[in-house]
Amino acid sequence: MQACKVCMLGDFGVGKTSLVARFVRSTFSAKYLTTIGVKVDSKEVELPGREPLKLVVWDIAGRSALDALGAHYLRGASALLLVADGTREASLSSALNLLMQSRSLLPNAVVALIVNKLDLVERWEVAPTTLAELRRSLPVFETSALSGDGVEAAFADIAMRLPT
Amino acid sequence: MNSPEPGNPPLSDRPGEPVASAGGARMGEHPGIAPSDFDRLRELLFGDERRELDEAHARIATLEHSQRDLPQRLPEAAIQALRGEGLNPRVAQAFAEPVAQALGAAVQKNRQNLIDILFPIIGPMIRKAIAEALRNLVTDLNGAVESSFSPRGIGWRIEAWRAGVPYAQIVLKHRLTYQIDHVFLIDHASGIVLQHESAPELPPLDADAIAGMLTALGDFVGDSVGQGPSDTLESMRVGEHVVWVIEGPRANLACFMRGVPPNELRVLLEQRLEEIHARIAGTPEADLRSPANTEVWHALLEPASLLREVAAREQPPSKVFSRLPLVLVLSLALLALGWFAVSRYRWNSRIEAVHAQLVAHPGFALTGLTSRPWRSLDVQGLLDPDAQPLEGILAGADLGSIKPTLDLNGYLSSSDAIVERRALRLLAPPDGVRVAVKSGVLALAGNAPEAWIAHARERAGWIAGVTRVDSTLSADVDPAVVARAELDRLLLESNARQIPFVQDAQLAPGAEAVVDALAANLQRALALANVANVELELFAVGNNDDSGSAETNARVRAQRAQWLALALSARGIVDVQIGSAPESGSVDASTMRSASVHALVRAREP
Repeated sequence: MQACKVCMLGDFGVGKTSLVARFVRSTFSAKYLTTIGVKVDSKEVELPGREPLKLVVWDIAGRSALDALGAHYLRGASALLLVADGTREASLSSALNLLMQSRSLLPNAVVALIVNKLDLVERWEVAPTTLAELRRSLPVFETSALSGDGVEAAFADIAMRLPT
Repeated sequence: MNSPEPGNPPLSDRPGEPVASAGGARMGEHPGIAPSDFDRLRELLFGDERRELDEAHARIATLEHSQRDLPQRLPEAAIQALRGEGLNPRVAQAFAEPVAQALGAAVQKNRQNLIDILFPIIGPMIRKAIAEALRNLVTDLNGAVESSFSPRGIGWRIEAWRAGVPYAQIVLKHRLTYQIDHVFLIDHASGIVLQHESAPELPPLDADAIAGMLTALGDFVGDSVGQGPSDTLESMRVGEHVVWVIEGPRANLACFMRGVPPNELRVLLEQRLEEIHARIAGTPEADLRSPANTEVWHALLEPASLLREVAAREQPPSKVFSRLPLVLVLSLALLALGWFAVSRYRWNSRIEAVHAQLVAHPGFALTGLTSRPWRSLDVQGLLDPDAQPLEGILAGADLGSIKPTLDLNGYLSSSDAIVERRALRLLAPPDGVRVAVKSGVLALAGNAPEAWIAHARERAGWIAGVTRVDSTLSADVDPAVVARAELDRLLLESNARQIPFVQDAQLAPGAEAVVDALAANLQRALALANVANVELELFAVGNNDDSGSAETNARVRAQRAQWLALALSARGIVDVQIGSAPESGSVDASTMRSASVHALVRAREP
């Protein structure tokens, strides 16, 4: 089975770990995020029209800029999932900043933007127009790790776009 | 509950009883308002609140009363609660956090107390653990002792001797067991598992997640404490579990084990990783997990095959390489032994040759021959004064730098050779005397002066070793006398040889042969004359018969004598004078018409 490395990048508290927890059945404790700065899980994804795929999800501890260790963790990734908190517009800027930094390391990686905390949509600071503008550059998914809305779709989109 | 503040006493201990407050006193003292009116007004305004306040005061008082004996009731209450733990686990959960915090605070603040408290618990635990470890060690040592004299034990002893390590170390190495649980082949860049092999009967695990975390951990350690790219996470140990990480340019190997793995396993894993890299050289990332590669990875990394390979390397085949020093040592030992044997053989051969020569040496009786190979040679024996010295034999023995020592005593040898030599020394025989000794018999032969012969016959029987004298000695004859006798005989014979003539100076047939014989006789005669110490004068004389005149006859005789002198001169006999012939009457008929030689012998003048 083909396996692909997917890295989750985003600012502190945007819900990356919650999204991963919603998507996979975690093997490791989230304490690794505060110790070595990453937690790795995997999940097999059934995709219509193609072979099953194993996504190896690297949940990298939240940060607004990429440091050396984070760059190490990105090595060999096939996909990047940038996560922003809809209730904090600054987190979107951080996600886009991380995208710019990681692009030089992973020029061919598949990228998607997840704007999380859809369950708190009434408190979103990110304007729909902003999202509409971003959608012109990269896939954007509005998710709720709490309810699970949009999570599977985001990962499925990534998986579908990964090269076979 | 908070206690009343100083200066603010409790309102009342009795519910429903009006409470006089400072504020109320101030209102009651307000001019123009009667106390009853004030109370009624207060009742109207705050009646409900006052009742609620009184009830609250009553509840508070009740609670305070009940809490006063809480310390006394709490232990019993906790015991009661924990007795029902099986039904209500929330009690333990509720206690867990504060107890943990309390323990943490106790460790920080009263560490010594905690140590004192825990010591009685920890001590037995440590002793139990040590006892268990010692029991295992004793078991291992028992096994080692039991196998000390088994073929395997002997093999281990040889291995320890070759490796130069204690026997116990080899025993522990072989007796310590280990198990390979998992082997991961991990993509170096992404941390994705390329191949995962597990020992049988192990529960399944999320290999990709573990490999990813392992990769992240390696990155983290390298990034945190590493000094450079070469500083990588190589091993981890948790209890009896060991993780080895072997990094390669494109793929890493991670091996999860239990026990004490030997270093041979790490070497094998490194070799396997090198094989893998040789195979994937130039292979695109996407093809690394192809089925063909997977089969190869499986064959290379399957735990059982790794264990077998390591075991095989620890067996004799691997000793082929490590046996080289032993082979070298044995070869050197064999060479040394061979050299020693050859050296000893050469020495012994030479000593035997010396021994044989000494034993056969005439006049020497060997009584002892002691030697230390290539160090010394001592010869003891008896040597006859007339024997040849032994130095020649020893010098020709080719003993290198060894200087033989001789311990000799004199004696008289009875060997024939020495007796003969002794006889020669004592008798001093002149030339012409032959001396020989055989079986003690002294044989004297030849010619010798009469005086020496007499002397020899007198002394020969006294020579040591001579048992009998057998003498055939003859006294010497004067050669001059012998020569004179022979000379006289030859001259008579020469005088008798007549050279026949037919007529005048015409030779008769066969005359030349007579001349030749005559010349030979004369040659011998001249030689003998020297020996006989005489001078010889030769005269050629011609003869004839009585016929003819005297003058003619004299001329014919002269011609014939002249011819003979010339003929002899031609044959080397010079100085032959012409002599006169005797009267024909004194010549017999056979000598007529002939020529002959007459000799005159005279003593040589000194």
